[in-house]
Amino acid sequence: MILDRLAREVEALIFASDAPLSIEKLCEYTGSGEESVHQALDRLNKAFLDQQHALIIIEVAGGYRLATDKDFGAIVSQLFEGRKPGKLSRAALETLAVIAYSQPCTRMAIESIRGVNCDSAIRTLLERDMIRISGRMETPGRPLLYSTTRMFLEYFGLTDLDHLPRYEEIAELLCMSSSEMEEKDLFGAADEE
Amino acid sequence: MLSNSCRIQLESFEGPLDLLLYLIRRDEIDIYDIPMAHVADQYLEYIRGAHELNLDIASEYLVMAATLTRMKSKSLLPIHRIDGEEEEDPGAELRRQLILYRTFREIAKELHRSEEVWTDIYTSPGERDRWSIDNTSIERGQTSLLDLLRALDNLSEDEIELPAQRIQRKLLTVPECIQTLDKIFHTGDLISFRSVVGLQPSRAKIVSYFIAILELIRREWITFQQAYPFAEIELKRTERWTVDS
Repeated sequence: MILDRLAREVEALIFASDAPLSIEKLCEYTGSGEESVHQALDRLNKAFLDQQHALIIIEVAGGYRLATDKDFGAIVSQLFEGRKPGKLSRAALETLAVIAYSQPCTRMAIESIRGVNCDSAIRTLLERDMIRISGRMETPGRPLLYSTTRMFLEYFGLTDLDHLPRYEEIAELLCMSSSEMEEKDLFGAADEE
Repeated sequence: MLSNSCRIQLESFEGPLDLLLYLIRRDEIDIYDIPMAHVADQYLEYIRGAHELNLDIASEYLVMAATLTRMKSKSLLPIHRIDGEEEEDPGAELRRQLILYRTFREIAKELHRSEEVWTDIYTSPGERDRWSIDNTSIERGQTSLLDLLRALDNLSEDEIELPAQRIQRKLLTVPECIQTLDKIFHTGDLISFRSVVGLQPSRAKIVSYFIAILELIRREWITFQQAYPFAEIELKRTERWTVDS
């Protein structure tokens, strides 16, 4: 399969870019329409697949980038030994989940949902650049507000916050009072493990 | 008396809500109709078990224990209803908390699955390092001590070339001292030790000259006198110096 000019232009741009390239940027640089760029991306990925390359173009954090196939994760990880931080703990993941869906939010809000002190989890997440301090709430004590970072999106392969699992459902849930929840019969619906 | 289930360490739970959800699932309890007395007992049994194992029990667990006990006692007492005032269902708030917590616990699991997949995917060179650069512009009140520390860290990582300066220690040897003395000292001259070392001499200079003088005295090239301890030492060059050297 011989790739056309546009597909190769897109490939070159994505390869050389230091950040994920959005579809808008790709259109701008190539002077093509959105539809043709999408098709070019499809052709590229098909070519990678057909020729059994270890590379693939993925969509992440609102843009496209070139990445290695996950089958080669183990071998590539050798390059980053010692530099790659470990996986996040359960406490950190739970804290991160709460922040992601209710950002910007205070430590108090997180703790009221998790029912435990979240100090160390928050610290870990700040250090790992998963969250940042995005301001202060104008209430007594002016507590700090936390939001997720772009790093968070990239780390979990999300294109944007709307792509968080069950985003709308949970956003709605957060606004509900206890009586509203009773009516919805949420316990029956949720599948436990 | 400890039941086996109590031996499960409290530490494996992410807080009281997690423990409560575990108990509710284990005993197949309908969450809309939580038998308060039963759940409170089970929960307290756990806390006691952990206590007997001398585990540190986080305060949150105790708060929940108190809340459950209060709810249990309420459920056992007859309800006095004041006219016009709707008695709040004490279980409702707890249920709300449980629903929310359980939802986020599931999300955390999903995030964990994504993490598993995405940590096996690598992007083009250098990008991993760039990930940590957050390009959002900094606004007032949005920075923290952590940001400052990180900035400082970045600064010290960049190699700041300080002009290297080698400070050489000036060595003063005893033969050098003797040479100098030879030049400034003439036969028959009477000079004080203080004038030999000069004003504000370094410790090394004093020591070197003092040893030099001891050496000269040994060779009988100079004579000395000191009126009393710590008084000025006065030196006089003898004929022998010129003769011997």
